[in-house]
Formats: sequence, structure tokens, C-alpha cells
Amino acid sequence: MNIFEDLKQAVTEQYEHGELPKWLADPVYEILENRDQYKDKEYLLEILTAQLKEYDVYAEAGCCKWAYDHEDVQRTLRWIAES
Amino acid sequence: MSVYLDCNATTPVEPAIIRLVQRFMERDYGNAASPIHDFGEFALMAVEHARGQIAEVVASRRDEVIFTSGATEANNMALLGLAQHGLKTGKRHLISSSIEHKAVLEPLEELAKQGFDLQLLPVDAGGRLDPQKLAAALRPDTLLVSTMQVNNETGISQPLAEISEALQQHEAFWHVDAAQGFGKEIVPLQDKRIDLISISGHKIYAPKGIGVLIARKRDGSFPPLTPLMFGGGQEQGFRPGTLPVHLIAGIGEAAKMALRNQAERADYCRQFGQKLRTALTPLQPVINGDAQHLLPHTINISLPGIPSDKAIKGLKRLIAVSSTSACTSHTRTPSHVLSAMGLPEQIIESSIRLSWSHLTPEPDWEQVVAVLQTLREEN
Repeated sequence: MNIFEDLKQAVTEQYEHGELPKWLADPVYEILENRDQYKDKEYLLEILTAQLKEYDVYAEAGCCKWAYDHEDVQRTLRWIAES
Repeated sequence: MSVYLDCNATTPVEPAIIRLVQRFMERDYGNAASPIHDFGEFALMAVEHARGQIAEVVASRRDEVIFTSGATEANNMALLGLAQHGLKTGKRHLISSSIEHKAVLEPLEELAKQGFDLQLLPVDAGGRLDPQKLAAALRPDTLLVSTMQVNNETGISQPLAEISEALQQHEAFWHVDAAQGFGKEIVPLQDKRIDLISISGHKIYAPKGIGVLIARKRDGSFPPLTPLMFGGGQEQGFRPGTLPVHLIAGIGEAAKMALRNQAERADYCRQFGQKLRTALTPLQPVINGDAQHLLPHTINISLPGIPSDKAIKGLKRLIAVSSTSACTSHTRTPSHVLSAMGLPEQIIESSIRLSWSHLTPEPDWEQVVAVLQTLREEN
């Protein structure tokens, strides 16, 4: 599976069956619609995919942070846009 | 330039990993312990991503991945780190095998000096540990069992699944030195009975200076390791010190590639090994170790009548090979691994290890054989 297919699966899973909000899912779908523009950013896309797979609204709760929340995903999206 | 056939000593770094490491040295050089700005946040994210990449290979949790400077440090952390617990609980019996790397044997010998009872199990002529002997050696006061996944000198894979069976009813901690097998043989390390796993970056195409200790939780608790260093609290207090983000990103990427490309890499290595064996047939080499359990990227052979040092020197311009472990190859001490396998002196003295990778080009085997034939005639 290439990185875009993996990303699509992760965002769809979290958006349709998890708790990923629309405002965070939309920019990910935008990446998927403009693949050529992002094909050289595999490392960041892999990070984004991993974060979406482990997305948890309450990632900051508790003593240890072993999931990713909206701030993590938002930041990675910004880095993807800026790099 | 000779062809490098010493990949068990260290592998070349994958070009994609070099590019990633460079990125973290030139541009994204923040400190992962300072996530108060973009630099630090990016570094922390890269570290956590690498942790996930490594955890995936061994079917572990991200928080069970502890970064170290290499497999030697990981081995020391695992073995010496359990000493306090052993002393506290009165468990002082340690079991390992006589073919372990010095990075396991020497910490264990250190524990023996401190009063622990060290039992080194023998191996058979094929270079494998007998799980039944291990089961028979277990005692109520056995604190730790330490076995390797793949032997660095012979390339022989050890029976981890059977060892796991033998340990099911015993609560001894089980450490596996996976420096030579991580990313090459995937399934055995995913066994949840293994408590501690040592991993090396530079054996899987990442740079030197980075390794990992996997510390698997039992019933939600980490193995009772006492840290060897203090000051900073990084890595959940097990291993303080500023994290080398560039190297961590490198080992993470190496783990990802190892998992993704394992089948193709193994195929290439298998074909390479087949050509190597065919080419050397006229010299009638003796394979050291049970070929049935040989990983596809290594072979240890003896060429009776050609002393190892003469073969290594004579072949220098064609291929780069070694006779024993990289850590002892300069000392001219006979291999403790081949000795433990009970091989005769003339076999040990004429043994060479050839280890390659998916990045290794084909050497000129005709010339290699010609050089070795000349050496044999001269001797």
C-alpha cells in the first residue's frame, strides 16, 4: 500500500468511525486530492498517518501521552504545508 | 575497491536514511526535551514517530521502546539493570549460552563477580542452544535467562519459539540480544514472553551510535530495571541524556524499511548466498553451523589448509571478510563460538565469516577462488 492509500484509510476510519472532527479531516482529504503536490513529503505524510491512526481526543489526559490529539495533527498539517 | 562482505560487523547506511539523518542535522535540529517551540516540537514528534516504527516490528507498545547508544548499552541496561531486583528478591541464578556476544557475556561475568550464580549452557555442533537443556536448568531462584536471536559469527538462528515454550511456566525475566536478527527475522521477536530485547541501529542500515532496549510490560509494569545512569529523566527515567534525534529518526526509518522490505531483502540475500556457495564449491568449504537454520545473509565456512588470517589478507583487494566477531577480530583469539560448538582446531583456524546485504554488489568470484586456491597450494 502506498502512503496516500494508507493515509486515506487512516483518515476515513477516524472520521467515519472515530472522533476526528470534520475541520481536521478536510485538510487531509485536500492532500489526498492533490497527491502530486505532496509526493516528496513522504516522511511527514507517514507521521500524519501514524497520528491519525492513534488519534484520541483525550490524548493529553492522564500522566503519559501515548496517543495524538487535534493539536498534534494540526501542527503536522501545518508543517506539511510549510515544508 | 573490494566488495564489502562484513555486514554482520556493520552495514552500510541506506541512502534514504542518510538523507533523513541529514535533515535533522541541518534543518530540524531541535531538542526533543524542549517542545516549547517548533524546533523542539518537531524533534519530539520525530522521536515519537521512530518509537512507533520500532514498536511495530516487535509488536510492542510505543512506551516500551527505550533509546540507547547501541545494543551493547541495551544489553548492559537489561542485564546489570536487573541486579538490584535479584539481590532484593534473593534470585541470583542467571542462565545464558556459551555463544553469546561479549556484550552479553561480560556484563554477566560482572554479575558473577558480584555473587550471582552464572550458568552458561552449551550448544550443539550445529551452533544451537537446546531448549530442553534450558528447561532443565531453570530453578526457583532463576532471575534471568539471556539468549541471542541470531549468532553474529555463524548466522545461525536460535530456537526462540521453543525457548518461549520452556519459559511459559517460569517467571524468570527473558532477555534476547537481537542485534543480528532484528528486522531480518520478524516473527520470533513478537513473542510476548520476551521481556527485554536489545537492538542495534548499525546492523540494519542506520548509523552507528543508536540502539534500543525494548522493555515489555508484564501486567502493566515494566521489568524492574535499575537505571545505570542518572540525570535528566529521559526515556521514562531508564536512560537519561539528550536524545540524538537524527540517529533516532534514522533507526526508526531503518526499522520501517526492514519490515516493509524484509521479503525482497531476504530473496536478494538468498540468491547471493547461492551464487557464493556455487562459486566456492571447488574449494570444498565446510559450513560451520547447521545450514538449515542459517539466515540468508551470512555464512561461516572453513577452508582447511588456508589459515583465516592468510585468507583475509589475501582476499583484501577483492572482498572484505572477517574471521570472528568485529569486537574480537583484532585480537587473534580463536572464536569462542566455534570452540563452544566443539569444532576441531584446524576448522576454527581456517574459518571465515562472509556476511552481505541487499546492497551488496556481486564480487568477482572467479578471482576470489583463484586467490584461495593459490593460498592453499602455497601452504
